[in-house]
Amino acid sequence: MSERLYPGTGPDERTHFAPYSAFDIPADLRQLHGRYDVEATARRVRNFRYAEEWLMMTMGGWVATIPELPVKTGLGKIIWETAQAADSLGKRLPELRCGRRAVASSESANDGFAAFIHEISAPDRPDQTIEKLTGAFDVLKPHLIEAYEKHARETDAIADAPTIEILEDIVRKARRHVAWGQEVLDRLCDTDGARDRRRQRAVALREQLAACGGVTGIL
Amino acid sequence: MKRFIEPNELARDSRFIRQDNIAATILSTLPDDVDAVVAAFEKLDPIIEVGVRGTQAEALYDEYGAGFGLVTLNEPLDPKTTGQAARTRLHLRMHGIFVGELQALEGAGRSLWDFPDAPWEFKLNMARQCWDETRHVQIYEKLLEHVGGYAGMFPESTFLFECACADDPALRVAGVNRGLEGLACDVFRDMIRYAEAIGDDTMRQAIDYVLADELTHVRFGSDWVKEFTKDDPERFEKAQEFRRAVDKQFSFGGARSERADAAIPIAWDDRKEAGFTDQELDELRQISSEGPSRETMRKAARILQQRHQARRAAQPGSAAQVRA
Repeated sequence: MSERLYPGTGPDERTHFAPYSAFDIPADLRQLHGRYDVEATARRVRNFRYAEEWLMMTMGGWVATIPELPVKTGLGKIIWETAQAADSLGKRLPELRCGRRAVASSESANDGFAAFIHEISAPDRPDQTIEKLTGAFDVLKPHLIEAYEKHARETDAIADAPTIEILEDIVRKARRHVAWGQEVLDRLCDTDGARDRRRQRAVALREQLAACGGVTGIL
Repeated sequence: MKRFIEPNELARDSRFIRQDNIAATILSTLPDDVDAVVAAFEKLDPIIEVGVRGTQAEALYDEYGAGFGLVTLNEPLDPKTTGQAARTRLHLRMHGIFVGELQALEGAGRSLWDFPDAPWEFKLNMARQCWDETRHVQIYEKLLEHVGGYAGMFPESTFLFECACADDPALRVAGVNRGLEGLACDVFRDMIRYAEAIGDDTMRQAIDYVLADELTHVRFGSDWVKEFTKDDPERFEKAQEFRRAVDKQFSFGGARSERADAAIPIAWDDRKEAGFTDQELDELRQISSEGPSRETMRKAARILQQRHQARRAAQPGSAAQVRA
């Protein structure tokens, strides 16, 4: 078995440890090379940030137009955590060769996704809490969780680990948001008519989302 | 969703009753003159009566007439006073803060939607403020229950949200983050003193945390007024003028001032820590001292009560009429 040497030439610098002995456990099974290069990941991060930023602004606008007090207060923390998601995605951009001023960059994947975000934010009447929350918590947030997990699975696990860390943190909180939103919707939709409104809204938005290719433009 | 909403568009559940903002607006313009205060509130009587129906303020209106607001708003929270009147004053104060926090949450949220092209750091600050104001709503809802009250027990005036309706972000933050949040500093410092005096540590500790948040929000306002108006002295002066108008309205005549008889003393130290300049504090001292004194309000309230009772007695079917 060959012996490992630290840099240097003297015999007293020779190490007695066999290479990769105890350090093999647990073995690093990650492999290099992912589906996205630096440029592609930067573009996708801008796409993700676009969705988070607009959802945060939309929920901010909704607070005043929602009559149910627990929904108003429930949204407050989600607005802040969604803003933090956009902020951490933005801070990744300069690390992806986008320049120091890129921290506030957002980019819709295409016009279709921009139109989808516009439709998510469209309901503004006080009697449309179901339509508002369905868009955010039945459709957009679950879609973003799926997209983030897909990126984390497919990107280079070592080279792009900082993006994976950010996405994992966002997903952890987004799952809580979805659980809260869907519990509220379950309570609000206590009649067949209300359940039908929720179903119809979700179906229409999912069709629009599929047609534009989702947050990154590619489903 | 449209941008820029009016105060009457704020959505509420069925517990809440909306009050016309005109009484608070007019009070801010009145001189220190008993007759002027009486004349103004007599004119407002029908509006005030409609606004209190179905709330805990209805009994106060029946007792005092249109001047009930002068009695409740103008008198400080006195730890030595007990009984129904003191309890009602505490409930009114607590409920007013609760709905004020609700409107502050809505104002911060609307700033996110109304100004999509604002700098990212501004949006981040407003998003943080949404969470803070959310916690304040939750805290004051619990404190309201802690002192025996409940949400919706009094009518809600949306005059606080009016300062969140400016369509220039510099004016918006001047009104909300410096005018409204500055008032919050004054009221919360007074509430902390009250809680200490009555030995209520739950109230004292919770409000102390809220006050710490408010200082942060005033700093947001100070920073963003500077940023939005840099190299634009005209816009800066407009923002300052808007803040002065908000300060005038939020002085409730002279109930919030540095006068010895003020119901809400100005929290000078907290305001300095939050970043108000000496010049701004001098302006506030001047603006808030111009309204009616507590003695003027008391005299006006007595006259309004006498006239109200006389009108009641003269109504067909009243006890006095039946005896006659």
